[in-house]
Amino acid sequence: MSEIVRQPFDMAKMKAQQEDELFYFVEQNPEAAERITAPRYSYWASVFRIFFHKKSNIVALTILAIVLLMSFIYPFIAPYDPMGHLRDGIANLSPSEAINKLGFSMEWILGTGVWGNSIFYGIWTSARISLTLSLICAAINMSLGIIIGAVWGYNKAVDSVLNVIYNIIANVPYILLISVLVYVIGSGFGSFVFALTITGWLGIAYFMRTQVLIIRDREYNLASRCLGTPMLRIVTKNVLPYLTSVIVTLLASEIPSYISMEVYLTYLGIGMAADIPSLGHMIGDAQAAWILYPWAFWSPVAISSIITIILYVVGQNLADASDPRSHMK
Amino acid sequence: MKKRLSKEELAEIQKNFPPRIEYQEGKDPVLSIRHVDITFGSGRKVFKAVSDANFDIYKGETVSLVGESGSGKTTIGRAIVRINPCSAGAIYFKGNKISGKIKVDKEHVAKLDKIAKEKAEEASKAKEALKQAKASGKEAEIEKAAAECEKAINELVEARREAGIARHPNKEVVRKIQMIFQDPAASLNERATIEYIISEGLINFKMFKSEEERIQKVENIIKEVGLLPEHLTRYPHEFSGGQRQRVGIARSIVMEPEFIVADEPISALDVSIRAQVLNLLKKFQREKGLTYLFIAHDLSIVRYISDRIVVIHLGKIVEVAPTEELFAHPLHPYTKSLMSAIPIPDPILEKNKELFVYDKEAHSYGPEDNPSLVDIGNGHFVFGTEAEIEAYKKEREGR
Repeated sequence: MSEIVRQPFDMAKMKAQQEDELFYFVEQNPEAAERITAPRYSYWASVFRIFFHKKSNIVALTILAIVLLMSFIYPFIAPYDPMGHLRDGIANLSPSEAINKLGFSMEWILGTGVWGNSIFYGIWTSARISLTLSLICAAINMSLGIIIGAVWGYNKAVDSVLNVIYNIIANVPYILLISVLVYVIGSGFGSFVFALTITGWLGIAYFMRTQVLIIRDREYNLASRCLGTPMLRIVTKNVLPYLTSVIVTLLASEIPSYISMEVYLTYLGIGMAADIPSLGHMIGDAQAAWILYPWAFWSPVAISSIITIILYVVGQNLADASDPRSHMK
Repeated sequence: MKKRLSKEELAEIQKNFPPRIEYQEGKDPVLSIRHVDITFGSGRKVFKAVSDANFDIYKGETVSLVGESGSGKTTIGRAIVRINPCSAGAIYFKGNKISGKIKVDKEHVAKLDKIAKEKAEEASKAKEALKQAKASGKEAEIEKAAAECEKAINELVEARREAGIARHPNKEVVRKIQMIFQDPAASLNERATIEYIISEGLINFKMFKSEEERIQKVENIIKEVGLLPEHLTRYPHEFSGGQRQRVGIARSIVMEPEFIVADEPISALDVSIRAQVLNLLKKFQREKGLTYLFIAHDLSIVRYISDRIVVIHLGKIVEVAPTEELFAHPLHPYTKSLMSAIPIPDPILEKNKELFVYDKEAHSYGPEDNPSLVDIGNGHFVFGTEAEIEAYKKEREGR
C-alpha cells in the first residue's frame, strides 16, 4: 500500500533528474545564430548532379558519344568515295550479297547503294557533314540571337526598330527564302550555311526579347540600376544567367532542327550541292527503290533520326537540370 | 475616435523623446521636391500618379512618407532615385537639379582638368627627382624623394578622380542617392554570390585601389550588418528574410551614400526581426550622418523612427509636420482618419474605438478654389483652400 502512494512522487523526481541531465543552458551567441550549415551551393555542380542522376541520360550520352566519334573520326580512317565502285558492277547489293561477293569487311556490312557505294561509310561521312552544318548554324544563330535579343528586349529605341524589321522578314516564308537564296548564290556548304543563318537568328532573337522583357523590370534589376550598373553588365550578370535553362531548351530544339532542315531541303533538291555527301542526298538517291533496296534507304533515315532524337532528349534533360527550381530536392 | 493628447501629456512625451533635429527652416535642404508631377502611360490612357508634390528633406533627418496603397509613395521614392521620370517640376539634390538630364558644369570641369594637369607635371617632376636621388646613391635623399613622389602621385589620382566626377555628375548622384527595397527576396540577384551583390556598386564606381581593398570593404560592411564573412560565397536563396534585407542594406551603405530612400524596408519582414533592421538603419544614420526618406504605411513604426512625416493621399500631399506635432494635432481629415486607424494594443480600447472615416466629398473643391499646401506655423503644412486653412489654423490654436 505504501509503495503505491510513493510511486508517483518518485516518478516526478526521476523525471526532474533526467531533464536536468538532458537540458542545459547555452549562452546566446549572435554569430552562431547567423551561421548557415547547409552545404555550399554551386549552380553548375547542381546542374550536373541532377543531370547524371537520371540513368537514361547516361545511356543517351553514350549513344551520342558513339555517334559523334563515328561521324567525326571514322570518315578519316575509312574515306568514302561514292563514285569509286562504278566499274565494279556491284550496285544495289543487300548486306548478305555484298559480304558473299566482296568478302567480310566493315565497308560492306550495310550493303551498297545505286553506284556500288558503301552505305556504311556513306552514312558516317554524311552525318559528319550534316552535324557540322547544324552545329555551325546553331552556333551562329544562337549567339547572334541571344546578343541581339538581349539588347532588343532591354533597349526601347532598339525595340521599336527591330520590331518593324522582324514583322517584315518574319512574314516571308522561311522555306521560300532559303530556296531562292540557294538558287541565287549556289548550293555549296558555305552558301547553305549563309542561307540558313541570314534570317535564322531573327526568330531566336525575338524569343529572347520576350524573355528579357519578362525579367527586365524585376526589382533586382532596378536595384542594379540604382547602383549604377551599366546595361551590358546587367544583361550578362542579371538577365542571361536567369535564362540559362531557357537557352539550353532552345539549343536542344535548334541543333536537331538544322539536321532535319538539311535532310528535308536536300531531299527536295534545293539544299546542298550533289557532290557533297549528306544524309539528305543518301535518302534522296535511295527513295526511288526503297521497297526493293530498303537498306540503302533506312540506314541514313535511322542515323538522322537517332541524331535528332538523342540531341533533343539530352538537350531537354539538360535544360530541366539547369532550372534552379529542380536543385532544391 | 482615439483620445487626443493633452498639452501636459504632449510636453511629457516631447521631454522624453526630444526631436533629434531642430526644425530647420531657412537652412539648405539636402533634397527638395518642387511641383513634381509623375504620370504613367500616354495619350488617352495617361494616369497621374503624383501631382504637385512639394517638400524638403534636411541633412541628418528621417522623413517618413505615409499613405495608403496606391497613393504614390513608392512612385515618389523611385522618382528620387530616377527610375521614374518626372513629367513636371523638378527634384533638387543639394541645390542641383537631378530630375531629367543633368547638365555638366563645363567651367568647373575645365578648372579641375587644369589642376589635374598641374598635378601630373608635379608628379613627373617628383619622379625625375627620385631618379636623380637614386643615381646619387644617398639613402636619406632617396627616401625623401620616394615619399614626395608617392605624395605627388596620390594627389594626382585624387585630382583626376575629382575631374572625373565633375565630368560625370550623373554618376555621382547615382552613388550618393541609394535605395533599400521592400521585398528582400525580389531585390537580390539570385544567380550572384553575396560578394558580387555587395561589390556591384564598388565595381561600377571603381571605389577601391586594389582587389584586397575591395574584399576588405565588403568584409567590413558585412560584419557591420551582423553577417559573417563566410556568407560572401553564398547565394541569396540560402538566407532568411532578415538576413537578405541586411545584405540589401549593406550593398547600399557600402557606396557611402548621403541620402537613402528606404521603400518599406521592413514590411516584408517577420515582426520579430523588424526591430533589428530598424536599429541597423538608425545605427548607420548616427554613424554616417545619413538622411533617410522612409516610405511606410505603419504609423506606429513611423512615429518611432521619423523626425517629420509627409502624408500623401491619391498622389496629393495633404499634410507635412514634425512627428509629435502631427500626432498631437492632425489637422487634415485624411490624416485624422489614418491616426484613428492605428491599432491600440488593448482589446477593450480597440473594441470601443470610434473610427474617423475620411470623406473626400467633404472638400468639394470648385473650379475657383485653388487648394495648396500652406505653412500654418510650427513647421506644419496642410493642404486646403484659404477657408479651410483658416479653419485648420483655428483648430490648431484652439488647443
